[in-house]
Amino acid sequence: MDFSMEYTSEQEEFAREVGAWLDENMPDDIEPIRDAQKMSYEQFHKRRDFACKLGEKGWLYPGYPRDYGGGGLDGAYSVVISDELARRKHSLPIIDDWTTLTAPAILACATEEQKKRYLPPMLAGNALTWQLMTEPEAGTDEANQQTNALRHVREGEYFIINGQKIFVGGLHPPPEQLYLLTRSDREAPRHENLSSFIIPANLPGISIQPLDLFPLTTFSGAWGPTGATQEAVKNSVFFDDVRVHESCLIGQEGDGWKVTQATFAVEHGGGGRISRNYLSEKFFDQCKSNPNIVRRLKEHPYLLNKVVDIYFYTQIARLLSIRNAGGKGGAYGGPHFSMYQKIGGGKYINDMAEVFGPYSFTDEGDWRLDDGIFEVGQRNGIAMAPGGTPEAMKIIISRALAIGR
Amino acid sequence: MSLDLNLTESEEMLKATALDFMKRDVPKEVIQHLQETDTGLTDELWRKVVEMGWLGIIIPEQYGGAGNPLTSAGVLFEAIGAGPLPGPYFSSGILSSLIVLEAGTDEQKQQILPAIAEGKQILTLALTEPDYSWGPGVIRTTATSEGSDYVLDGLKLFTMDAQAATHFIVVARTEKESDPAKGISLFLVDRESEGISVTRLPGFLTGRSFEVKLDSVKVPQSAMLGGKDEGWPLLQKSIDKAIPVLCAYKVGGCQAVFDMTLEYSRIRVQFGMPIGRFQRVQDMIINMVTHLDAARWATYEALWKLDTQRPAMESIHLAKALASRAYWEVCTIGHQVFSGVSYSKEHALSFHTRASRSLYNFLGEPTYHRQQIAQLLTTS
Repeated sequence: MDFSMEYTSEQEEFAREVGAWLDENMPDDIEPIRDAQKMSYEQFHKRRDFACKLGEKGWLYPGYPRDYGGGGLDGAYSVVISDELARRKHSLPIIDDWTTLTAPAILACATEEQKKRYLPPMLAGNALTWQLMTEPEAGTDEANQQTNALRHVREGEYFIINGQKIFVGGLHPPPEQLYLLTRSDREAPRHENLSSFIIPANLPGISIQPLDLFPLTTFSGAWGPTGATQEAVKNSVFFDDVRVHESCLIGQEGDGWKVTQATFAVEHGGGGRISRNYLSEKFFDQCKSNPNIVRRLKEHPYLLNKVVDIYFYTQIARLLSIRNAGGKGGAYGGPHFSMYQKIGGGKYINDMAEVFGPYSFTDEGDWRLDDGIFEVGQRNGIAMAPGGTPEAMKIIISRALAIGR
Repeated sequence: MSLDLNLTESEEMLKATALDFMKRDVPKEVIQHLQETDTGLTDELWRKVVEMGWLGIIIPEQYGGAGNPLTSAGVLFEAIGAGPLPGPYFSSGILSSLIVLEAGTDEQKQQILPAIAEGKQILTLALTEPDYSWGPGVIRTTATSEGSDYVLDGLKLFTMDAQAATHFIVVARTEKESDPAKGISLFLVDRESEGISVTRLPGFLTGRSFEVKLDSVKVPQSAMLGGKDEGWPLLQKSIDKAIPVLCAYKVGGCQAVFDMTLEYSRIRVQFGMPIGRFQRVQDMIINMVTHLDAARWATYEALWKLDTQRPAMESIHLAKALASRAYWEVCTIGHQVFSGVSYSKEHALSFHTRASRSLYNFLGEPTYHRQQIAQLLTTS
């Protein structure tokens, strides 16, 4: 066995190449921001520009085939790029982009013509894509779609879409594209009545309204203060007689659930990356170096139990992600890791509130801890739904393990 | 056997009046608005609460209050906790009143308590500092004698309701002693005094929590509550009595969250049936019940022990540890059952989530009270 995860000499060489390129080409005016809900339009676009620069090199989506604009690089080389970016306080794909979840569906189910049409702009960072699945009546029961995409009565090569999607996106709308699950057959049974589309976001009849949510902001597990912002701002998207050509259909009409499974494999799969919990690293830093916290731990040594609880949680998460990355997670590993992270995260924010006291909740001003990451973490740890609730994960885990069957 | 967990008739009436008031005068939109303000108050709401006599609920009649036992205060605060109703009602009407009752001279009581009951003065406790703890060991704010005055210097952090307050009860060290519980004195300080600055601590989950700077603040000797160097035990006794009332407020919050979650489990349909039919959702709501009921009955037992002059310390620590944790967990569980809809700032659950976090550490977080219990359990 080997847990060292050291680079080979070729990877070292590649790391030097990537590092040198980044030092030369990475913009120096991207400002760190902890709470992505506060990110200005200007800063958002500086990040997009940087993403496009990486896209030109094929390094924005390094694992995707060269033919379509990816880097054509295997897993280890992709990790090198991520590591070099992390050293410079960034992580792929630099800014919220659901290309990460859409591209696998395209590769699995689209025609060759569609792959050539859709993938290059997406992998280059030029077609920022939002994923639209959840609806008011389709949460954990994602298949319970009410948004309809029905063939036009006279012009049969067009679909007309009506409905509403929620918890979508996305800072500073609109994106370029929407990847959307719909019901295309009102008669067919569940799972056989759905279709997936990728459509331009600016079609007539589409309107985007931001939701005022308190917990969704940068996952504090993100690498560094300018790390990829996940789930920063969510929106409702309304469809009012939106006309869409059938060339936007991914897979066949009725293949929607199959297409969605390709997305879920990635979305629930934990990404196959080794988990590094930035929030807890910062937590241990505070325990060692913030004089107020150091004194608090001395005055109330029983709090050390909570510190150790957080340590155990982060170590187990790390090891479970190593299990997955090393191919030992079976069919259950991805959703199992996702479930553990969320439930554990819910617990450790409570542990942190014991250790830090009310310092946990202040996000600005003189008394803010670090750059406000703990306050973000306190809000974020409450939101277990994005990417699938722990309960949804348990359904998948139970099936994967054939529990009771 | 004399077991009786029912409320008295007057307690039932108080509860009904309070629930009625909440329904009529404090709808959702008002709570959401109040949670954003620096004081948690509107003039109108304050006037109404004063008229109900609620600020003086435990203040003895001779000092202008209703002279009710602590259990009545528990009933009241459980009812307004269902909102949860923001505002300095607990800080002034309960915690500060108890401190003045415990530590004040008769003259001070005559001056201060009627003003609290009539809503003319609003008092809040300024105890914790950047070295955050609810114990006496890390108090650095000093009070130095200067002629017939004292000069206060220091910084209080996480002081509740400082913006709404007209006065602070400042906990300051007047003498360095080997036992940190000795040498501390309490001072009633007018908020408008020169040298005081109040800054709100921002944050969605922070509540009305403030930094209070004391820069050579001069107060007359008559501002001292209790004897010189003897303030801490009096303060501690008052805090101990106040704690179960705060717990009752949290129990009210837990009940409200449980009620809304149970209802949602019946009306939200996924996979063709109400989600409450699924065992996982049932388990979550059952967990809520355990938190809620443990907190509720520990709180009322503590209140009963205090009202009947029974030893109550273990019960108080138990109730606080349970109630803080219960409110936190019940809200977290609520967000799991409601999921996305409850992430909205307009959803009533988020009002409680804010309160559950901002009050979690107030008067001592669970680990603090568990440590007090540990000491009680291991000393004879």
